[in-house]
Amino acid sequence: MLALNRIHATRIVATPSALDSAQWPDDRLVFRIAADEALITPPMANAVVSDPYAIVVADSGFAGAWLPMEEALPLLEHACEWELPRERPAFAQGSVAGIPAKLWIEKDRVLLIVPAPFVADFEERMA
Amino acid sequence: MRLIVDGQPIEFDAGDSALIAMLRAGIHPTGGGCLCLGGDCPHCLATVDGVSYTRTCETPARPGMIVERHPREGYPPLPLNNPAAAEEVKARNVHCDVAVIGAGDSGKAAAEEAERSGKRVITLDAKRGQEVVGVYPGPLVVARTPDGMLHVHPREDIIIATGAAEIQPVAPGNDLAGIVTARAASQLAAVGVPLGRVVAVGARPENAEATVADGQLIRFEGNGKVEAVIVRGADGNEKRIECDTVSVGLGLSPRDVLLRMGSGLAIRAVGNAAREPELPACPTSGVVCSCSGVTADDLQRVWDSGFRELELVKRATLAGTGPCQGSVCVPHIRSFLKERGGELQAPFTARPANRQPTLGEVAAGAHHRATPRTALDAEHRRLGARMDRIGGWWRPWNYGDTRAEYWAVREAVSIGDVSTLGKMIVSGPDALELLERLYPTQVSTIAPGRSRYVLLLDERGYVLDDGLICCDGASRYGLTFTSGGSSFAEMWVRDWAETWNLDVRILNQTMSLGAINVTGPLSKELLARAGFTRPMRHMEHTMATVAGVECRIFRLSFTGELSFELHHPAEQSAELWRSLMALGTDLGIKPHGIQTLLQLRLEKGHVIVGQDTDFDSTPRRIDMEWAVRLDKADFVGRQAVLRTNKAPLDKQLVGLEMDAPAPVEGAVIWRGSEYAGYVTSSAQSHALGKAVMLGWVKLFDGVLPTELTIDGRAARRVSLPFYDKEGRRARA
Repeated sequence: MLALNRIHATRIVATPSALDSAQWPDDRLVFRIAADEALITPPMANAVVSDPYAIVVADSGFAGAWLPMEEALPLLEHACEWELPRERPAFAQGSVAGIPAKLWIEKDRVLLIVPAPFVADFEERMA
Repeated sequence: MRLIVDGQPIEFDAGDSALIAMLRAGIHPTGGGCLCLGGDCPHCLATVDGVSYTRTCETPARPGMIVERHPREGYPPLPLNNPAAAEEVKARNVHCDVAVIGAGDSGKAAAEEAERSGKRVITLDAKRGQEVVGVYPGPLVVARTPDGMLHVHPREDIIIATGAAEIQPVAPGNDLAGIVTARAASQLAAVGVPLGRVVAVGARPENAEATVADGQLIRFEGNGKVEAVIVRGADGNEKRIECDTVSVGLGLSPRDVLLRMGSGLAIRAVGNAAREPELPACPTSGVVCSCSGVTADDLQRVWDSGFRELELVKRATLAGTGPCQGSVCVPHIRSFLKERGGELQAPFTARPANRQPTLGEVAAGAHHRATPRTALDAEHRRLGARMDRIGGWWRPWNYGDTRAEYWAVREAVSIGDVSTLGKMIVSGPDALELLERLYPTQVSTIAPGRSRYVLLLDERGYVLDDGLICCDGASRYGLTFTSGGSSFAEMWVRDWAETWNLDVRILNQTMSLGAINVTGPLSKELLARAGFTRPMRHMEHTMATVAGVECRIFRLSFTGELSFELHHPAEQSAELWRSLMALGTDLGIKPHGIQTLLQLRLEKGHVIVGQDTDFDSTPRRIDMEWAVRLDKADFVGRQAVLRTNKAPLDKQLVGLEMDAPAPVEGAVIWRGSEYAGYVTSSAQSHALGKAVMLGWVKLFDGVLPTELTIDGRAARRVSLPFYDKEGRRARA
């Protein structure tokens, strides 16, 4: 049974150029969820981007779960109508089981991320 | 081995389809009509194991299979109380460049050619258990397989290689049993189904003994089953040939039903599926479309009524709208129209599905819209809340005792989950400019640390939403929206920011932040126990720690009582909720649900956008012109408000009261015998001891009526609010 947990992250909204030029530590996953928005996990206490108007907030509005690739692929084949990217690692966003989801796909595992308010439905649909 | 047909067991041989088993037993699945054994015609459809409209020619027989023949008139019964029909069917998605449907010679060749050019190819073939039921925009090819539904997503091309179908006979008596196509006759002979005396009309069957009937097919004769076929020879004389089976070989037509479904898609046919059809003789009598029961006489009638185009003839007669989607009737209708109009018209569009899927198969891979839950969802359920979908979220309607919830707010302290409110940050050098253009209030006069209630208008001056603007500084603001309106509001704000090319950053925090409303005369005492003692003015906001949780605290009031809204990280919602409940035990704290909240706000006359407002609600009509600063240079909706303000006011949202009981929301409001409007919100006020309402009321001769009737009882228009008119409690 898939069980998702809240993801502790830092969410940054800034100009695309500020996000493009930002330096991120290697021990963080940085998901560019929009041209002007990044989600960084684990959170960064002192995230800095070259945009004085950037919105930088702690965020726990998403939940996620790591799955081994051999478990993830059959699940996604059933739940995901769009084609997964073939390169590794890859970040992708779209509807999974009818719920807005984000996927971080590594060589051997996949991180499934959904907005926390949809966790119950997502877990039920992926069961 | 035996299967069951209409309650009677019949024998079948290994390898038989359900149809062949029935024919061995002398049973025609639909009572009559030319059988093709190729999956093209509707004449072998039956209910198999509870699934109606199953092609029995493509259904392998198995021991215990239950076949129920459809009634000759009307429809098969719905599969009620059939648990098998309710089983979940899974869908699997696969992606490719090219989807080839049909694995015959031309299908193989097309697949190999595509693969040689580096394409990823998926080939689907019914004989391999991949029965394509439809081609959809997307493009999407849906196939039924033994493991569930297969959803194939081809990026580039769909190739139809389904071969050709045999043309069916149209002549009087073509609905008798005992008529088969030439290919079908060959197949039946090959598996040893007794055919009796066979007469071949047109091409002969390959491996069946048959008497050849030279000449033009005139009619079939028989009583339920064919007994003779009548042909007209070259000498012009009709000849009657007695028989047990008529094999009909009238030529081939492309099996193009899937091609005809793919209108507008990158789809093409190859091989026999792309062949030119052999046009049959123009039908003069007999059934043309057995799916819809359309005869040659029906075609003549619609022709005489002026229908000339194939697509219109289809709509006028319903020919081609049944299970086979024109596989049988299209060649004949084209021939009919060509003879009368002189032009061969293109076949009409086919609609999915080509094979009848069950509801479970249709629903495979589809999901209803998920309803989000706040971080307090489990807390509400633990407290026994009756949950409901409200404003697009699962929310607590009540906790079982609405009267106790109500009085806790009015006389003690209560907490409510308002996490569903839209919450947004706007930052940037143009943040103020954006909000000044969006909102009808003077945003620049909102000082840092202060909030203001605001309306959001569309270009026509109608109320879209409401909420707060909270100033965090000249270049940063927090916005709140209604629960149901927050998604649209985000699009609205982003769209205008982009349209005006303003330099802003926008973050929607609705799903990230929880919000708890602490309300009631003892709310300040509760917050003091939770560690927050700083005095706050009405409509002020600040950051502070409450019960160990970092919160943005808003002093505001929707209930009419002293209230504080605590916005906090959603992951700490349950912790904060439980702490407040524990700290307030001796203060009489209770949680309140939406049912109570709606009543409390109604007593204060607070409007709920979407419930009390309509699609044409202007600020003037909802009596909230005070929220609109027309002396501002411009804002979305300003021109429309100026224009509509020139017209006489025709209706207004007003407060109404009457003796108990409260009428239902939507109740009609009368002025004498004249319709005057309707009630939008209604509740029995515990504090006031009467029914209080909001409702739309028309003006009569420019005047709002005061004395009205609702539910046959007297009602009065009164000024708002109903409760605490001076606002002393909220501003305490």
